[in-house]
Amino acid sequence: MAEFDVVTPSVTVAGGTLPTATGKALSVVALRKTYGDVVAVDEASMEIAAGEFVTFLGASGSGKTTTLMMIAGFCEPDSGTITVGDRDVTKLAPQKRNLGFVFQQYLLFPHMTVSENVAFPLTLRGVPKDEIRRRVGETLEIAGLSGFGNRKPRELSGGQQQRVALCRALVYRPPVILMDEPLGALDKKLRDQLQVEIKAIQQELGLTVIYVTHDQEEALVMSDRIAVMRNGLIEQFDTPRELFERPRTPFVADFLGAANFLPGRIEQHTDEHTLVRLDASGGLIKARRHQLASGTPVKAAVQPGRLRACAPDDGFCTGTVETATYVGTLVRAGVRIDGGDAPLLRLEVPAGRGPVTGERIGITADPDDVNLFAVEQGG
Amino acid sequence: MAALTATAPARPRKLLASRKTRVGILYALPVVVYLLVLFVYPIFTTLFLSLKNADGSLTLHWYAEALTGVNLSVLITTLRISAETALLSLVFGFLLANAISRLKPLWAALAMLIVVVPHFISALVRTYGWIILLGDKGLVNETLGAMSVPGAPFRLLYNELGVVIGTTSMMLPYTVLLLYGVMRGVDRRLLAAASSMGAGRVTIFRRIYLPLVAPGLASAGLLSFILSLGYYITPALMGGPNQTMIATLINQQVTKENQWNGAAAQGVILLLLTFAGLLLVKLVSSLGASRKKRSAS
Repeated sequence: MAEFDVVTPSVTVAGGTLPTATGKALSVVALRKTYGDVVAVDEASMEIAAGEFVTFLGASGSGKTTTLMMIAGFCEPDSGTITVGDRDVTKLAPQKRNLGFVFQQYLLFPHMTVSENVAFPLTLRGVPKDEIRRRVGETLEIAGLSGFGNRKPRELSGGQQQRVALCRALVYRPPVILMDEPLGALDKKLRDQLQVEIKAIQQELGLTVIYVTHDQEEALVMSDRIAVMRNGLIEQFDTPRELFERPRTPFVADFLGAANFLPGRIEQHTDEHTLVRLDASGGLIKARRHQLASGTPVKAAVQPGRLRACAPDDGFCTGTVETATYVGTLVRAGVRIDGGDAPLLRLEVPAGRGPVTGERIGITADPDDVNLFAVEQGG
Repeated sequence: MAALTATAPARPRKLLASRKTRVGILYALPVVVYLLVLFVYPIFTTLFLSLKNADGSLTLHWYAEALTGVNLSVLITTLRISAETALLSLVFGFLLANAISRLKPLWAALAMLIVVVPHFISALVRTYGWIILLGDKGLVNETLGAMSVPGAPFRLLYNELGVVIGTTSMMLPYTVLLLYGVMRGVDRRLLAAASSMGAGRVTIFRRIYLPLVAPGLASAGLLSFILSLGYYITPALMGGPNQTMIATLINQQVTKENQWNGAAAQGVILLLLTFAGLLLVKLVSSLGASRKKRSAS
């Protein structure tokens, strides 16, 4: 038990001193994990600053949960190192890492009351009884659970149970709290509400959180930075805005922005932009500057919301509106581009001036919203 | 007809309810008859027998006799051996069930089969098996002797040790089955959750695992205690004169002494002890719950 005394900071949960949100809280270097021939996580490296909310975003099998489990210690990496603060924890058992973990299935201890559940990690650390009572009370209050202390977990709703699980993971102020799809078992409305609550608590207490989800919106709402993962690789680790506006790979552009991809060839470069001749329409599209040589085949990626309708022949292409779906403030349109059998171009425009089915429109975009990607061999 | 339907609303429901009740009684009838004939009637007959004097008047004489002298010491022996058996089968059952519950499903099923299959063999055969194994020239003592373990051969039969070895082995399938079921029901991820908060193995076992399987431990212990109370063959064959248990005594009274009244009194005492055991477990568990509630508030 001695190791806990060293690493447990003597902070109070609310209104007291908080750990200063500077310096690195956790770093991962060249973390690798294979299951047989399958590479689950491939040389993942990242540094996470104290007070940061970082999300691992990816589909199932992308390696996001495996990475989290390795950080938590539930799964042993083949190679690489994990450092919490200044401590190398790579070889340590989960209970010696002093991290917090919130599970998707809550995993509250059914034989303990809510208070006992939240007090459990404190009793392990030999915190005096009076202080346990005070800290449990404060933590439950922050999560809006005052008065629920004497209930058993099964008497609470799913959302309340997950709040208790959150309290239990943060009451002992671990330097990093890991969350594995904590809202995955809840319905949409509750999920939205808890996203905001968790984010608020994280900011109020200056917590460092690593959060795993497959839900793009959730990641965008909550995160300071998002690591987009695919096939065991971190595709891009950036702020939501960067990921959205400056995707570094076609996958990121597609996964977060649901971008349209327009194949073409680089025609020429100007000082600020690159001009691309589109294969389908033969039109020229102005894009963010890219260093590839003229003539190189590329894909121009534009998100549906960044395309604008204009008069026919004024934009980089012209087409016929084939579908137009009214979705509240927006109209989602699918446009058949002239002169090609490319898939429908997806367009999102404000509902007021929405195009109607059968209308011929030109399409244009701000050059800064057009990102170019080299076409991979065979792709 | 029209008038009937007009006034109907309240009545059909009542009719339906009573018909349901009648059908329900019909369904329950076989069970009720079964219990009346094979359970209630014999119990009351036994009770009556135990309270009847030779001349037909009521008396507590048989109870007084059952609770004094040799009979009392037999009763105490029975309680002691049953408690020892319950404790040992609980310990071994816990170890076994715990190990099995950690196996992969296929291996676990196989292991359960090995635990349970011997139970299908007659208790008499198994008891003789133990007698062969544990005798002075049995496998156990021969092996210990060959290893020149000091003190060998040990006396493993016709004493309390022999009886407890025998009854424990008979009770083991029950405790393993019960505990295995409870342990399988424990969400292993709860243990992982505890370790993520900093709990070591011992703490997890003591504060998470044990409380979660406690109800199973209580019922398994109680079951083997109650079954041991009335156990007959194994104690009779593997014990000496000092290990006479109450079931053996009852048998002797009926078959050798034709003393039905005394046997009935001892049977009733056995029944009451069983009830007391059940009550005790209930009491302990509810006491634990209320204490928990108090400490939480």
